Amino acid sequence: MAKRGPRPAHERLKRLLVMLPWLMQREEVPVSEMAAHFALTEAELIADIERAAMCGLPPYQDELIDVYIDEGMVCVGVRRLFTRPLRLTAPEGFALLVAGRSAMQLPGADPTGPLGRALDKLAIELGDDGVVVDLDRPEAADELATAATSGERLRMSYWTPARDEVTDRDVTPRAVFTDSGHWYLLADDHRTGEERIFRIDRIRAIDATGIFDAARDVEMPDPRKWFIDDPDFERVTLRMPTHMLWMIERYPTDSITQDESFADMSIVVLAVTGEQWLSRLMLRLGASTVVLQPERWSSLAATAAQTVLHRYGVDHSAT
Amino acid sequence: MADPLERLTNLLALLLETREPLTLERITHELTDQYPDGEAARRGAFERDKTVLRELGITIEQEVLGGDQAGRTAYRIDRRRYELADLDLTDDERRALQLAVAAAHTDDSWGQDGLWKLGVGSEQLSLAVAARVPTSEVLPPLQEAITSRATAQFSYRDVVRVLNPYGLLLRDGRWYLIGHEHAHDAQRTYRVDRIEGSVAVGEAGSFERPEKFDIREAFPADPRLMGDPDTEISVAQVRIEASRGWHAAGDLGLAGFGTPNPDGSVTVDVPCLNRFAFHTWLLGFGEHAVVEGPPEIRNETIQWLNNIVAAANAGDR
Repeated sequence: MAKRGPRPAHERLKRLLVMLPWLMQREEVPVSEMAAHFALTEAELIADIERAAMCGLPPYQDELIDVYIDEGMVCVGVRRLFTRPLRLTAPEGFALLVAGRSAMQLPGADPTGPLGRALDKLAIELGDDGVVVDLDRPEAADELATAATSGERLRMSYWTPARDEVTDRDVTPRAVFTDSGHWYLLADDHRTGEERIFRIDRIRAIDATGIFDAARDVEMPDPRKWFIDDPDFERVTLRMPTHMLWMIERYPTDSITQDESFADMSIVVLAVTGEQWLSRLMLRLGASTVVLQPERWSSLAATAAQTVLHRYGVDHSAT
Repeated sequence: MADPLERLTNLLALLLETREPLTLERITHELTDQYPDGEAARRGAFERDKTVLRELGITIEQEVLGGDQAGRTAYRIDRRRYELADLDLTDDERRALQLAVAAAHTDDSWGQDGLWKLGVGSEQLSLAVAARVPTSEVLPPLQEAITSRATAQFSYRDVVRVLNPYGLLLRDGRWYLIGHEHAHDAQRTYRVDRIEGSVAVGEAGSFERPEKFDIREAFPADPRLMGDPDTEISVAQVRIEASRGWHAAGDLGLAGFGTPNPDGSVTVDVPCLNRFAFHTWLLGFGEHAVVEGPPEIRNETIQWLNNIVAAANAGDR
């Protein structure tokens, strides 16, 4: 477990109030098991249990909470107070509902299974909540998730927007996930021998191969980092109006700073997934945004604008 | 002086056990030597403890006494409001909730805190499916307002809005709030991540939600229609190339709505409330989408592109 500083009293109380009812149902539990259950170190657990045992009010001095540690076991004597957990707070109730409803829309969810029943029981406690989760799962997600479980290798044709080309790849799916409205496949790419992330809406076709690879546990990537960590991506420095920063909020940036010469402009360093992507972004940002670096991209926007203008019958190349 | 955990636990036990509300004098008498001596320091420490308990979700009832104690405030905790009802969850239902919390990745610990109360422990799980779910401090109070039919007040684009909140919808990776806005006396949709600061929840039971309200239906079919439309909405005809058609259909939620052209391209009607937002969307297609009409929007697109070329030429000189 990671090292951390002293835990504040309110954190310790919060944990204690879920630990005591749990313990009282079980009467005695090994210290190691209880510490793991509540994500504490054994030393932290022992300190809090011993502290709780010292609590007391007249006339029950020192026996308000009858818990003790004996030969590696946490034990309960007389059960008086704190036998039931606290009600769910608004954030806890919200988080459980949303997690449950999200999971119901993941591949393989069974609406009539235990999760559905658990959510029905929660709804009785929490009332009519008015919260709807819509993950808009693409059809291919189920097939890919099945392959991620079985380890079946798939052949897929995949469109890469940066180069505007469709290529065939052999991949072994490992995980399917959704983030910010898009669905992704995390897979072993047999062309490069590396783990790669693919956007499912860019997969044009999927064929089973009948080859199965051994299962492998994967860590779900942090989407705010996965672009940034990829050395394939170049950086561009833009000067753009500050009020338009929302347009790039979903792209990974290294930095966003106030421009020194213009009060309403910002300097942004952005990861570039491809030249074509950057030229589309420059078109969308309009005339007030410029590429500062690298220089070879400084006329990218004008070139892209001319290409589009051509479709409107406007030709600037003669002027 | 006592350890802060010990004092908090004792205070909580005292307020839960007492049959009658207790004044601060009684409380400090019972918790001998645990609060500081001076009146101001004692009051300060007690207020901090009360805040901690309230933040844990504990409701502390308070009443102002009469008789020989007139004017003094007394406190107690109602056990029925403190304790979680038995949800009667089976082991497989608990396990299903644990998997759900593990599959829904968030930046907060609310889910696990809730699981602990339901008797479910912390466990590292490796799952083949997952969803990253955005959260925000304002979501739980908004949900509370929706559930209790209380008004919600918040600042959005520098304007204070008062809403009868009807529902929250997670779509396209973002939370949206829909409700009846008082100032415009109309139904409005807001992006939750654009709400500035905190949400004030009003009196419970202050409105009725329309019986047939369905948030999926109520959500504007096109995100460009969100906010406060007070200008007339124009519709642009946009011709999108065949190679991009599949992409646009998903983007617009307009699958099957376009008119196919002989060359395989499709022409779609795109509601265009905000010209700026329309162009930032349109130009994401590069040269693969062209505005066919109406002329004023087509001319605006040409102007937008001409400006980019002109800015580059100006930079060259």
